[in-house]
Amino acid sequence: MSEEKQTEYVTLVSCDGFEFKIKRSAAILAGAIKNMLDPNSRFQEGLTGRCEFENINGLVLDKVCEYLYYNEKHKDAKDMPDLDIPPELCLELLMAADYLNEREREKETNSMRRRYDKGRDFLATFWRFR
Amino acid sequence: MSLTSNRTKHRVKPPRKGLQGDAGGFEQMWPELRDAFGEVHKKCASKLSYEQLYRKGYTLVLKKMGIQLYDGIKESESVWLKAEVLGEIRAVLAAGQFQTSSGRSENEQRIYGEEFLRIMKNTYNDYMTSMSMIADVLMYLDRVFCKDHRCPTVFSMAMGLFRKIVLEESAYPNDPVNVLRHLTDIILFQIQLERSGEIIDKSLIRQCVYMLEGLYVTDQEREEDRLYVNAFEPHFLDTSREFYKSEAERMLFESDAGAYCRIVRKRINEEQDRCRSTLSDLTTEKIVRVVENELIKNQIGNIIASPSGVRHMIDNDLFDELELIYELESRIDKRKGELKKALQKKIVEAGMEVNNAAIAASQASAAPAQAGEGGESSSRAPAEKSGSNQTVAALTWVDDVLKLKDKYDLIWQRSFDQDQDLQTALTRSFSDFINSATFPRGSEYISLFIDENMKKGIKGKSEAEIDQLLDKAITLLRYVLDKDMFERYYKKHLCRRLLMNKSVSNDVEKQMISRMKIELGNSFTVKLEAMFKDMTISEELTSGYKNFIHNMGATDPTRVDLSISVLTSMTWPLESMGGAIENSDSGGRSKCKFPPTIERVRQNFERFYSEKHSGRQLTWLSNMGTADIKAIFPKVQTKEGYKERKHELNVSTYAMVVLLLFNDLPADQRLSFETIHAETNIPKADLVRTLQSLAVSPKTRILVKEPMSRDVKPTDHFCFNEGFKSPFVKVKVGVVMAGNKVENERERRETEQKNEASRGFVIEAAIVRIMKQRKELSHQQLIAEVLSQMAAQFKPEVAMIKKRVESLIEREYLERLDGQDLPAYRYLA
Repeated sequence: MSEEKQTEYVTLVSCDGFEFKIKRSAAILAGAIKNMLDPNSRFQEGLTGRCEFENINGLVLDKVCEYLYYNEKHKDAKDMPDLDIPPELCLELLMAADYLNEREREKETNSMRRRYDKGRDFLATFWRFR
Repeated sequence: MSLTSNRTKHRVKPPRKGLQGDAGGFEQMWPELRDAFGEVHKKCASKLSYEQLYRKGYTLVLKKMGIQLYDGIKESESVWLKAEVLGEIRAVLAAGQFQTSSGRSENEQRIYGEEFLRIMKNTYNDYMTSMSMIADVLMYLDRVFCKDHRCPTVFSMAMGLFRKIVLEESAYPNDPVNVLRHLTDIILFQIQLERSGEIIDKSLIRQCVYMLEGLYVTDQEREEDRLYVNAFEPHFLDTSREFYKSEAERMLFESDAGAYCRIVRKRINEEQDRCRSTLSDLTTEKIVRVVENELIKNQIGNIIASPSGVRHMIDNDLFDELELIYELESRIDKRKGELKKALQKKIVEAGMEVNNAAIAASQASAAPAQAGEGGESSSRAPAEKSGSNQTVAALTWVDDVLKLKDKYDLIWQRSFDQDQDLQTALTRSFSDFINSATFPRGSEYISLFIDENMKKGIKGKSEAEIDQLLDKAITLLRYVLDKDMFERYYKKHLCRRLLMNKSVSNDVEKQMISRMKIELGNSFTVKLEAMFKDMTISEELTSGYKNFIHNMGATDPTRVDLSISVLTSMTWPLESMGGAIENSDSGGRSKCKFPPTIERVRQNFERFYSEKHSGRQLTWLSNMGTADIKAIFPKVQTKEGYKERKHELNVSTYAMVVLLLFNDLPADQRLSFETIHAETNIPKADLVRTLQSLAVSPKTRILVKEPMSRDVKPTDHFCFNEGFKSPFVKVKVGVVMAGNKVENERERRETEQKNEASRGFVIEAAIVRIMKQRKELSHQQLIAEVLSQMAAQFKPEVAMIKKRVESLIEREYLERLDGQDLPAYRYLA
């Protein structure tokens, strides 16, 4: 794939082999993915448009993609509906978010981490944070 | 939220350990990363997977090995910079050094410089690209480790390394000059080339400047620590200063002021452009200041004073050059001190020239005038002529001053952007020379100028032109400091114009007065307005008197008509109307003896007047009146035959009185001067003049004098000239001293004395006013107050104020306060 012409869709691959084709504009909302795909830094991913994540499974990556789309859709909105996140996934999601450096979620991640450290139930906040 | 109650139903799965990666410890991961970074530097990144590298960094940070990772990068980058980057640069430098020793031409040096800059730019850009990729990979390290440990991000750490290892390293082994200094010198050399007109690769230099702007002296990367500001800019400014210093000297020597200014402007624009296209906007202001200092501030005095400077420009109307000078000086001095100084000097000089020309013109004619005075009445005519010469001098002076004013106004408008400061300076200079101590005639000349225009100048002019003329007069008046002096002259001139009906238009007179009122205030024009009022009242009186006589029924054909002007003695400057001479003769206004017919008229009028206004004293100023006489001359042979000739003689009152004496005289009888004097009681000096106009001047020789000579002596005899001939029916017998002329020396002294005296009263009045209000005041304060109160009218001398204070103390209006450090006064009620 040439670096001048950026494809509209990119592929995210989970460690268990699921491939997600999502819009580039949504994908680059996550800082790490953005760097990966940056045409100026000529890494492999930037050239192929294919990012493999060896530490994220399909279930989580699915939710990540959903979140990225959700985030893009409500970029400028003020009152947006909550994103439905299954509680059993949230911890893994949090770590994935930290890893991928999703800017939007950074704050929430931090605040949740604080609550978690204090041994309090963070789920309530997790549900509410969107 | 309702969900909170359900929270126990959900179980949170513990995260699987795999997420942190399992790729072993630092010893295993670091070499992989290091090798990968080496590949990045070699531009072979496409073989690498970002995700894998990123994950390694991520894992190391999570495993709390961030510090090792950070230090590792530092070390490996240092090695890379030293080995590869510095090596390459030193290679170029070494090649350059080799050439230096063999002596390079400017062109070679320039090519070498460009080569060096190119290498510098390329290595830096490559390094920056690689480092930004590496920093991207190590994003997690930046985000977590650097933030927590408050150390610079990977990228800025790497930039710091570049500065330390490449730029601050000596250019050659064991060379005290480092690479940075070398780079600076090369850029400066290129700029110098451009200044001398060559074309250089601007964008290349710009790139290198970008580099210097992007690097910092310290690792904190504060704005003021930029390498550009710290290392490059001072050198740049220093060399520029040197360059412009020598250029200023050279240009002053080589070119004239106008060309110099043009070059300066060009240089300033060039430097601004250079900052925009080649260097950095940060420097624009500083380098412009340097150019301004070297080329303008240090030299503006020289430029303005040079032979082709302001003086030359003004003389030759070089508006553009003047504008340049103005523009340049306003860059460095908001008040434009030098230009102002030069302008003022120039104006005062030009003004003094005009003054001197006027003095010279008046003195050339003053010499015969004085001779005329010495011979008393013998040479009246040339004296008069000199008087009119002086008038011409006065008018020329006013004209010249106005021309000067127009010229500088034009310059001010076209070249000086209508600058307020300069306008004040111009005004001050004009006022300076108009009021200069060596030229005391300003007020008189201006008043004469107005007088001349009122009498002749405005004839046949449009309203707009008249307006313009009045404006000019007012403009000049504005410059005059001693307004009271002007008022005195104006009053005198106006008096003549009104009494002798010389004014072309009363409306214009009134316009002038109202303009003066606006300009100088009400108090200035009160008396002038009163004069107009007197004239109006006099007209009413004259017609009232006519009715009065008519009603008396005395319709005598030989009745004498009377037209009268009743003047309030306080408002009219009657002393200056030629009364002074009588005073010196007989110590008071002597009464002229009127012949019976005239005496009757006088009595009638006095009766009429006292009926209207009781308790008013009328004094007859017979020296100022005129009379129309119908005279019948005996028959003489003419072309048409033998017939009587009737002439209407327009003569002065005195002449009428004299002529009436001959009415009752047999044709061949003579009257001696003494007899005439005794019969009429006309003051001798006036009588001499009157007889002169009647018996000497050839066109109006109504009397014959014996012996025939130009002078009238007390021993002369006169008889009626029966053979008087004139082609006109109406004959106007010239009235001596009718016009408004410049005063001669004696008159001037008198006027000045009178002015001094009246100033004395004005000052005393002011002192009393002030003291009445303040009760006690120190000497200094009192003087200051008086000066400020008097400013609108004239500028009193301090000595005069002191004298007035003394006099007031003597008369017990004031007393000195004892026991004070400073002299002070108290008001005594």
